[in-house]
Amino acid sequence: MNHLVEVADLTKTYQIGDVAFGALRGVSMAIAAGDSVAIMGPSGSGKSTLLHLIGGLDRPTGGSVTVDGYRLHMMDETALAKFRRAHIGFVFQFFNLVDNLTVLTNVELPALLADRRDKKRIRRRATDLLEKLGVADQAGKYPWELSGGQQQRVAIARALINRPTLLLADEPTGNLDSASGHQVLDILSEFNQQGQTILIVTHDAVAAARARRVLFLRDGRLVGHMPGGDARRIAQRLTDAG
Amino acid sequence: MDAVWCKIKADVTGRPLISFLITLTIVAAATLLTLALATLMNIAAPYDRSFQELNGAHLWLYFDRDKVHARDIQRIAALPGIIGDTGLQYDVRSRVLIHDTRVWISLRTVPMEVGPATVNRLLIQEGRYLTSHQVEVLASKDLNDLHHLAVGETIRITRWDGKKVDLSVIGLVYNPMWDTYRNTQPPYLYVSEATLRRLFPDDSTWGWSIGLRLQDPTAVDEVLARVEALLRPDAVTAHTDWRDVRESAIFGAQLNFVFLGAFGFFAILATILVIASNIGSSVLAQFRQIGILKAIGFTHRQILTLYVGQYLILGLIGAPIGLLLGIVLSPLPLKSVAASLSTTYHPPVNAPLVGLILGGISGIILLATLRPAHRGARANIVQAMAIGAEAPRSKPFWGVQLATRLGLPITFVLGLNDISARPLRAFMTGLNLTLGVVGVIFGLTLNGTLKTYEENPALLGIVYDAVVTREAMSHNRTQGLLRRAPDVDAFYSEYLLQVETLQGQKFQARAVEGDLEAFPFQISRGRFFRPNTYEAVAGQGLLDWLGLTVGDELLLIVDDREERPITWQIVGQYPEPVNAGQMLMVSWPAIARRLEGVQPRTYFLKLAPDANITRLKHYLEPRPESDLNVIFVEQALPDAVVYLQVAIFALGGILITIAMVNVFNTSLLAVQEKIRVVGVLKTLGMTPAQVVAMVNTTAGVLGLVAAVVGVPLGLALTQGILTVLSRDYGFGRVQVTLNPLYVSLLVPTMIFVSMIGSIIPGRRAARVSIVQVLRNE
Repeated sequence: MNHLVEVADLTKTYQIGDVAFGALRGVSMAIAAGDSVAIMGPSGSGKSTLLHLIGGLDRPTGGSVTVDGYRLHMMDETALAKFRRAHIGFVFQFFNLVDNLTVLTNVELPALLADRRDKKRIRRRATDLLEKLGVADQAGKYPWELSGGQQQRVAIARALINRPTLLLADEPTGNLDSASGHQVLDILSEFNQQGQTILIVTHDAVAAARARRVLFLRDGRLVGHMPGGDARRIAQRLTDAG
Repeated sequence: MDAVWCKIKADVTGRPLISFLITLTIVAAATLLTLALATLMNIAAPYDRSFQELNGAHLWLYFDRDKVHARDIQRIAALPGIIGDTGLQYDVRSRVLIHDTRVWISLRTVPMEVGPATVNRLLIQEGRYLTSHQVEVLASKDLNDLHHLAVGETIRITRWDGKKVDLSVIGLVYNPMWDTYRNTQPPYLYVSEATLRRLFPDDSTWGWSIGLRLQDPTAVDEVLARVEALLRPDAVTAHTDWRDVRESAIFGAQLNFVFLGAFGFFAILATILVIASNIGSSVLAQFRQIGILKAIGFTHRQILTLYVGQYLILGLIGAPIGLLLGIVLSPLPLKSVAASLSTTYHPPVNAPLVGLILGGISGIILLATLRPAHRGARANIVQAMAIGAEAPRSKPFWGVQLATRLGLPITFVLGLNDISARPLRAFMTGLNLTLGVVGVIFGLTLNGTLKTYEENPALLGIVYDAVVTREAMSHNRTQGLLRRAPDVDAFYSEYLLQVETLQGQKFQARAVEGDLEAFPFQISRGRFFRPNTYEAVAGQGLLDWLGLTVGDELLLIVDDREERPITWQIVGQYPEPVNAGQMLMVSWPAIARRLEGVQPRTYFLKLAPDANITRLKHYLEPRPESDLNVIFVEQALPDAVVYLQVAIFALGGILITIAMVNVFNTSLLAVQEKIRVVGVLKTLGMTPAQVVAMVNTTAGVLGLVAAVVGVPLGLALTQGILTVLSRDYGFGRVQVTLNPLYVSLLVPTMIFVSMIGSIIPGRRAARVSIVQVLRNE
C-alpha cells in the first residue's frame, strides 16, 4: 500500500546547554492518503515535535520523513518552504493569523506566495472557502476583530487554500470554547470525508475521537494505537498510556 | 521590587541583540553630544579665554619718544587701578623679505624671562620661545596666514645700515593685543632686546610702548585719562583698547561661530531625537509584554520602574563609552579650530561637562522611556495583550491597494503593508531614518556652503584676485603699469581714509576708483554707490555700531582735517571682510578734491581666468627690491577658513557616520520586532529569499520616504540654524549651498543603506526557527 506519510525511526534531540533532551526516540509510522489520524500523549511526549517534522518545519536528528514522495530530511530550507506551501496546510492552537492583513488576504497568502499569476482564481477559491466555513462576511476584517472560533475557521481556510495533500492541526480546539471547538472539528471531519488527509495533535479525547486512528506517544516513543470513534475509550487509553 | 529587578535583568540579558542595539544608539548619541558640547565649549569666547590665560594687557600705550622719559614709565606703572605692566617695550618698523614678498613689519622686543605673572605673554602656537643671546625671531601667526611663513624658515631683514640679515623663525605666536585696525599696526616679529640692538644699534630710533593690566578691565578710558594727565600733552600718540581687539577677534571668527555653532546646536537636537525615537519605539514594541505584566499584577509604578530601570542601565553602559569616544575624537576637528581662533584646545574632560553629558543622556533616556511606558501602563490590559501598542489600520493604505492592483509580488505588498498597518511604529522608524537623512544633509550642506565661500570669496567681501601696493612709484605710473600688465582684466585703486563722526567715533573708509563694475561686489541691501558722488556703501558692523541703516546720512570729518565735515548718503550694505565690518566704501574722485597731496596706494586686480600668476608677478616685481608688491588672493584667504573646512568636514563626517549607524540600527530594531510574523509566514511557505525581499521592501520604502522628507527638512533646518546664528554674529545672510548631485545620490544611498541595514536582520529572520517562534507563542 502506498502511504502519503512515511516516518521511519525518527529521532529528534534538543541540546539545552550541556543536556541533550530526546523529544522523539525512534518513531515509525505511516498515514494513508485520505486518512485522518490523531496523535495523543501527555505534555512533553513529543506530539508537536512529530507534527513539526512531518510538516517540514523542523529537521530530524535521525531517521526519515517522506510526505507524498518528498524526502523532507534531505531537503534544504527553500525546498522545504516550497514543499510546505504546496503540500501542507497548518492549523495552530493560537491561529497565527497575520494581524495586519485582512481575513481575505490571510487566506489568500499561501496561494499568493506560491503563484501570483492567477489572482482571480485565488480570490474565488478564498471566497469559496470562507463561504464554506461560514466566515465570508468577515472577509474585510482584521483577525483581532474576530472571535477565537472565527479566527480558527479563517486559519483552516488559509490552510486549505492550496489544496494541500496533508492538513496538520496542532491542538486546533485548545484555545476555543466548547461550541466553537465542536464547529471546528465538524469542519475538519467534513473535509476529511471529502478526501482531505488530516493529522491532528490533541489533548482532547473528543477531538481525537473524530479521527479514524489514534496514535499514542509517550517520552518520544509510539506506545500504542487504536481506532477513533469512542472518546471515552480513548480517554481511558490516554490515562493508561500516561 | 525583587520582581522588577529580576525582570530588568531578564530583559537586559535575555535579549542581547536588542540591548546591544539600544546601547549602540546611546553610545552614538553620547559621542555626538560630547562632540557638540566640546565644539560649543571651544568656540565659546575664545578671545576671552586666551586673554585670561595670557594675562593680557587691557591698555597698550604708544609714546612719542621726545616727550617721555624712563621715569615717566615708572610713574605710569604706579598709577592706581593698574595691577601689572609689560615693562617698556621697544619696536622698530622695517621691511622684511618673506619668501619673495616684501612686507612692512614691526620688530618688537619681548622679555626673555616669562612667568605666570608676566603681563601679555605670547601664545606659542608652533615652535618654541626665544632663547637668550640667539639671533632668532618669533613671527606673528598672521604672517603664516598671509604669507605661509613657517617655523624653520628664514626671513631677510633690512638692517639699520641697509644690509640684509637672515633671521631664523623659531616659533609662531599670537599676541592678544595685536590689532591691525585701530592703530593700523603691521604684523609683528618678536626678538630679544639684544637682537634688536644688533640690528638697529641706535636706540633713539626705537619706538616705546607699554601694556597695562587694569584692576577694572572696563576702566580703560579713566586710566588713559590719568596717564595723559601725568604726561606732557600728546606724549601718548596712540593706544589700543583690549575691547576693540576683542571685537575684531570676534568679527574675524564669526564664520567659525556660525558653522561650528550650527553643528553644535544640531548635534544636541539630534542626540535628543535619536535617543527619544529609538527608546520610544522600543518600548512601544513591548506593549504586549506590558499587558501581560499588568495582568500578573505589576502596578503602574512598577511598569515605569521596570522600563526606566532597564534603559538607564543600558545608558550607564553606553553613555560613558560614548563620552570616551567623543573625548578621543574631538581633537581631530577641534584642535585646528582652536589654533585658528588663537586659543588653546580644551578637551571635554572637566567635571561639570562630563556630569552634563552623563546627566543629560540619563535625563533624555528617562523622559524618552517614561512617556511610552506610562502609556503602556495605562493601556487596557486585554487590548495591549491582543494588539500591542496600536491596532492595525482598518483602512488599507492606498499604496498597498495600488501595489496589489499592479500585480507586484506578494513579498513587496507584504513589505508595504507592514509600513501602513502600524503607522505609529512606522512613523517612529521613519523618524529615525529621517533623522539620519537630516544629519547627512546637515553635514553635506555645511561642507557645501563652506566650499561655496571658499570658491567664491566675493561672498566674504573679497571681490578681487590680487592686491598690489606701491611705495615710491607714482599713482599714475602704477596705473599705467597695471593697464599694460599681462592677464589683468580690470583694477581699482583704494585710498584708506581715517574718518570720524561728530560724536568722535573713528573708523576707516575705503575711497575707491577704477573699473568697479568689473568686480562682483555683493550688495546685500540697497545698491552700489554712483561714482563721483557722496554716496557710500557700508559694512554691517558699521551700521550696527552707529545705529544706522541704508538710506541714512552720515556726517564725517575726513583725515583729521579741520574743514567742513562731509555728508555721505548710505545707499547700500556690503560684506566687509575686515575691521569688524566697521568700514565705509566711497567714491575716490568725490573726495579727492578735498584731499590734496594724497593718492591711492593700494590696487585691487581682477585677473583673466587662466592668468599666469608667475608671469604677472615677474612683470610687477621684476626684482626683489621692486617698488610694487603683489599678493594673490589665495594668500589673502585666511587659514581660518581652511581650518574651519577641515573641522566641518571631520565633524560632518562623524555626524554622517553616526546618522548611518542610526539608520542601520533602526532597520535592525524594526526587523527584530517582526520575527513572530516572519515565523508564521514561513509556516505558510515563505522562502528565505522571500523573507529577505519582504524585509528589504519595508526598509527600502521607509528609506525612500525618509530621504524624500529628510532632504528638504534637513535643508530647511540647516538654513534656519545658519540664518539665526549668522544674524546673531553679524555675519549677514548665509548663502546655503547643497550640491544637487549629493541629493540625487542620497536618495538611492538611503534606500541602499536601509536595505543593507535590513539584510543582516532579514537573513536572521529568514533563518529563524519556526518551531522556536511557535513555542514562544
